[in-house]
Amino acid sequence: MYLKIIRNDITKSKLITVITVLFISAAALLISLGAVLAVNLLGAVDTLMTQGKAPHFLQMHSGDIDLKRLEQFARENDKVDEFQVLEFLNLDGEKIQFEDMTLRDSVQDNGFTIQSKKFDYLIDLEGKVIQPVKGELYVPVSYMKENITKLGETVKICGKEFIVAGFLRDSQMNSSLCLSKRFLISEEDYQEIKNDGNVEYLIEFRLKDLSDLAEFENEYIAAGLESNGPVITYPVFKIINGLSDGIMIALILLVSILVILIAFMCIHFTLLAKIEEDYREIGVMKAIGLYVSDIKKFFLAKYILISAAGCLAGFFLSFFFREPLLYNIRLYMGESPKSHLSLYVAIIGVVFVFYTILTYVKKILNRFKRISPSDAIGFGVSKEKTKYVKYFLLSRSKLPEINLFLGINDVLSKKKLYLTMFMVFVISNFIMIVPQNLHQTVSSKNFIKYMGIGASDIRIDIQQLEDIHAKSMEIIKRIKEDQTIKKYAVFTTKAYRLIHSEGQEEILKVELGDHTLFPIEYAKGHPPMTENEIALSVIKAEELNKNLGDSISLLIDGNEKSFEVCGIYSDVTNGGKTAKANFRDDNTDTMWVIIQLELSDKTLLSEKTQEYAQAFPFAKISGIDAYIGQTFGQLIHSVRIASLVSVGVAAFLSILITLLFMKMLITKDRYAIALMKSLGFNNTDIKFQYLFRSLFVLFISIIIGTILANTLGELMAGAALSYFGASYFKFEINYLKAYLLYPLLLMCCVITGTIIGSLRAGEIEISESIKE
Amino acid sequence: MKKIIVAEKVVKSFGADGQCRKVLDNVSLTVYEGQFISVMGPSGSGKSTLMFCLSGMDKIDSGRVIFDGKVLSDLKEKEFADIRRNEMGFVFQQPTLLKNLNILDNIILSSMKDLNKNKEQIIKKAQKLMKKLGISELEKRDITQASGGQLQRAGICRALMNNPKIIFADEPTGALNSKSAEEIMDIFDNINKEGTTIMLVTHDAKVAARTERILFIKDGKIVSELKLPKYEGKNMEERLEKVTDAMLELGI
Repeated sequence: MYLKIIRNDITKSKLITVITVLFISAAALLISLGAVLAVNLLGAVDTLMTQGKAPHFLQMHSGDIDLKRLEQFARENDKVDEFQVLEFLNLDGEKIQFEDMTLRDSVQDNGFTIQSKKFDYLIDLEGKVIQPVKGELYVPVSYMKENITKLGETVKICGKEFIVAGFLRDSQMNSSLCLSKRFLISEEDYQEIKNDGNVEYLIEFRLKDLSDLAEFENEYIAAGLESNGPVITYPVFKIINGLSDGIMIALILLVSILVILIAFMCIHFTLLAKIEEDYREIGVMKAIGLYVSDIKKFFLAKYILISAAGCLAGFFLSFFFREPLLYNIRLYMGESPKSHLSLYVAIIGVVFVFYTILTYVKKILNRFKRISPSDAIGFGVSKEKTKYVKYFLLSRSKLPEINLFLGINDVLSKKKLYLTMFMVFVISNFIMIVPQNLHQTVSSKNFIKYMGIGASDIRIDIQQLEDIHAKSMEIIKRIKEDQTIKKYAVFTTKAYRLIHSEGQEEILKVELGDHTLFPIEYAKGHPPMTENEIALSVIKAEELNKNLGDSISLLIDGNEKSFEVCGIYSDVTNGGKTAKANFRDDNTDTMWVIIQLELSDKTLLSEKTQEYAQAFPFAKISGIDAYIGQTFGQLIHSVRIASLVSVGVAAFLSILITLLFMKMLITKDRYAIALMKSLGFNNTDIKFQYLFRSLFVLFISIIIGTILANTLGELMAGAALSYFGASYFKFEINYLKAYLLYPLLLMCCVITGTIIGSLRAGEIEISESIKE
Repeated sequence: MKKIIVAEKVVKSFGADGQCRKVLDNVSLTVYEGQFISVMGPSGSGKSTLMFCLSGMDKIDSGRVIFDGKVLSDLKEKEFADIRRNEMGFVFQQPTLLKNLNILDNIILSSMKDLNKNKEQIIKKAQKLMKKLGISELEKRDITQASGGQLQRAGICRALMNNPKIIFADEPTGALNSKSAEEIMDIFDNINKEGTTIMLVTHDAKVAARTERILFIKDGKIVSELKLPKYEGKNMEERLEKVTDAMLELGI
């Protein structure tokens, strides 16, 4: 009997049944994919870290190194298990020539190294430690993914030929989020090219017990050892390795929750409409003594079938999508030893979807308890709580159209009923505007100001050189004579000892120069104006527990000098731990120099970039757009895709929900429609009333959605971007799109949904709906 | 007298093709302007359906209905809606008012359609009608704050708002106690005397006895018709006897 009832029911509402099944299978598909990917990612990150024996503590260092002192520290520190210093030969990108291109424009620090002896191994795609022979070159796996080179290709490095013998995974620098990349060559080759670049050192430790890490970090700093460069620890390597795939998994799971919610709404509306339709029958069944639980079974049976079909379809489909999505994880990190577990986790996910949906259906069916048999048989429609709205009366209304009045009046008198529709529109508006604003913001030239970089036209980096000071003076001299340059600023970074109040010391890298010329965004305060002021990056300020007005002491040229914290800014450069000040100090060594230029004629940009690049081959000259493109290109691209997808999703969602909601309303309202028709309202009038209802709800939703997008949305986007180091953040808004085009698009969707949904609104037989 | 409704061989069936049931079987009928007609018959005889078909609220299967010279089945949906609004008034058994409007708003609802400019006049007219029907105090009330009889009066006010040529009433006293029923019939009497044609469906011989022309319907056919003089508040017992006699004769 159940089968017959289900079959009749499904043939009567084919379209909506198909849509519901589709959403359930999409939810099951996404949940099982998310589960499979998560299990594989966690396993694969562990594998990579284990196979590569990643260091627990890494201090990058450039400049002189006292190996004996380091060895002594390692020997005497009882936490250290193993210790080594690796060399990282930093080469200019243009010295690395592939068949089709050089790495001149790469923002990555490309370095060469030999295989390490004790730990921190570079491993091949099979997970084995690589031992290159003379003439062989192993390339970071991300360059394979980006199609920069292929196996067997000849690569010229400093004029010397190498053959690409394979690709390597690097537990430290694998991720594209990490801005250094290591190439592996044989020791013999390394010695030959060693003089063509600058050697940096990777001072690495593995500890006996990883939980001692924080303590060890302090001991290392306290010992005053080499520290001219960032420190990275094991947990950070792990996060960086998992981050980009992790974000993808989080997104998949987030979308799957959204899809389940849509499935819920489909079920909600169709089931309510069905209950309205069968109101009298349900009343009769109750009147003749059937238990509510028995009546529920008739309705539940259909949804058991629909959910089971959807869940199974989604689960099996996930097998097809799994491989391409796992490819990235496998390529970068290798196979997870726990991959067999993923099947079970996927099954748990799908069963979860199934049960969630049935629980939801059961919850809706609890309404049966509230149906009174006498009302149901007598009236045949539910006696909903509707109150007339005292402040909105037809007799006092100034609205030009009665249908407009009736539409708005209906919404106001049944607020609870329209809440779902309202929320869907708010969410649709929100997910249209937020990614769009985010895209607008990250692709704007001003965005780098949030990242700790001032907006200029050209940026010149001078680093890892002998006598940086003289070389930068050479460039500055040229700039001064150059008429096309409107303004420029020189920023010299020097390392100072910072003295804590408890007497401990640490190194603080301070960027000296006039920071008002190319200002960055300050979360608090302003750039340093006087010699006694200093601005700190957000992360550094948090680490030092300093706020505006606090003072810090630096050791300058042997003398302790006190500075007042005048500003706090967000920064992604140099690990986000920096400071900015504006005082003169000719005695301390310069670590690097950055010169920023603004041209009076922007069209000269590429010409000037080339001119300076030729004149000063030792410096890295980049147009700021290229700099943004390379540093944030991937991010901007992903945000753009996300914003397009979310516009699509929001549009689809609002059409679908409007359509379903209208169908439900019309079933519910058939009595009122019949009455109005008997009073001489024609089909067009009725349709307009429905249109005005949805437009009124939409209108309020757009206002609320826009406010939310610009407050909550900004906070959320800020939180997401803080992953990338920008802790302070403000939306840049494309007003035309955010306030005109997208609301118009949403309106078109809602109008379409309402028109399709209320197509049959007028076709109700008056007599059938009103006759006793 | 002018013909207001002419029905010719009207057939109406309900149900799917296989189990089709003829509810109206070749019914022909003429209604003249100013008449006060009632339709009587047992349950399921087709009396309500007859009224719904004559008013065009139900589509007919064959035959035709001519209202004031216009063939209903030839009219476009919008023209038909205009006729319902301007020339017909409906009163139903249960008080049929919209729950989200107060009583005054319910009454002026259909008049507001094209006459938004004369709103003050419309409201004045509604207030006048409410006073006439004795429900002035209900103006601003929610429909849940009025009795069945009061709501039925409000329904009648609404039906009268556009000065219809005819009022169709489907068991207008069916849900009321006898006192309220009598008051409603008094109101109908007065309206009819002012010239509005009234056609009502009823089970109640007392109600039928107050009309001047009683149609008896059985198994989808008009089987008999009783004509009485206009009711002047007198001879009620005599009229009632005639109606009950006719009912007995027909086995209704």
